[in-house]
Amino acid sequence: MSTKQSSLKSWPVWAAMGIIVVVMLVFGALRDSGPSTQAERVDAIAQRLACPTCDGESIYVSRAPAAEAIRNEIARQVAAGQSADNEIVAYIEQRFPGSLLLPRAEGVDSLVWILPVVVLVLGFGGLALAFRKWRDEAEAQATEADVALVAESLGTTESSEKNDRDDD
Amino acid sequence: MSDRKVTSRRISRNVAIAVAVVVGAFFVVLAVSKPRTDTDISTPLLGQPAPEVVSDLVGGGEFDLSRRKGSWVVLNFFNSTCVPCINEHPELVVFDKEQSTLPDGAELVTIVNDDTDDAVAAFFEKNGGGWPKVRDPDGTIAVSFGVARVPETWVIDPAGFVRVRYAGEVTSNELTARINGMKATP
Repeated sequence: MSTKQSSLKSWPVWAAMGIIVVVMLVFGALRDSGPSTQAERVDAIAQRLACPTCDGESIYVSRAPAAEAIRNEIARQVAAGQSADNEIVAYIEQRFPGSLLLPRAEGVDSLVWILPVVVLVLGFGGLALAFRKWRDEAEAQATEADVALVAESLGTTESSEKNDRDDD
Repeated sequence: MSDRKVTSRRISRNVAIAVAVVVGAFFVVLAVSKPRTDTDISTPLLGQPAPEVVSDLVGGGEFDLSRRKGSWVVLNFFNSTCVPCINEHPELVVFDKEQSTLPDGAELVTIVNDDTDDAVAAFFEKNGGGWPKVRDPDGTIAVSFGVARVPETWVIDPAGFVRVRYAGEVTSNELTARINGMKATP
């Protein structure tokens, strides 16, 4: 069975796997995880914000007074029930610029999210092209000159083997 | 040498040059940029109504910033163990003394940041300063102003709008000159 026939038979499996992965990713990204408690909301928001007085710590992790004060403010706003999570994050980020741990998916910041995907797609695309090119090269047909060269080589070998047998 | 090898070498050379240019530009930016030394810093609250400041006073009583409209108010975020706060304190004493002699003098108010009543009372008893000291036990006031480190000094105009934010130590002369300047050009 040739390589092309083999790949033709296996592509539906790969396509099915690809579809399953995409569906799971979409489902995971869009699913509603249900209502969370106020404490969970506070923790989730605190994990999105950097402590303004520490290096490399989130509000959630840090025990610094400024982080505790911000956690208190988040808890107060969550308890008041007047703000969505993003609104609370925006409020803190406005007061403490640069406190967002993850860049927003809008404007120039969105490049942070888009570029890795683009690079990944281009990388896989490049690899696929390279693999195809190597496979085509491996399946290259021998030219007449190649055949003649091999025949000549084989002839030489056969005659030398015959001479060896005659010597024996 | 084959064409393929020549092309490959050319691509490698161009990529290396591009990386070198980016890295070089990065170092140039780092070398040229100046460290921030100014104390007069920006805030999205500049020109905006000051956040609410309603709390108890150390030693009793209540403070409500909105009731101070009509006066220039200077809010100083303070902690009795912070060295810059201690260094700055004599300047604030001078500032308060000078302003109290003026008919439209600014009112100085301390916002206590992560400190106990006893420590604050002992500090002011030792170093002077009879202005109000507002408690901020859960940091609500500090967060609403975006204050993470002390000392910080904010100037609120008589209409209740934020006009200046200083991070770090301030001097009496600096504060007075700035407020006089704003009074002259509202």
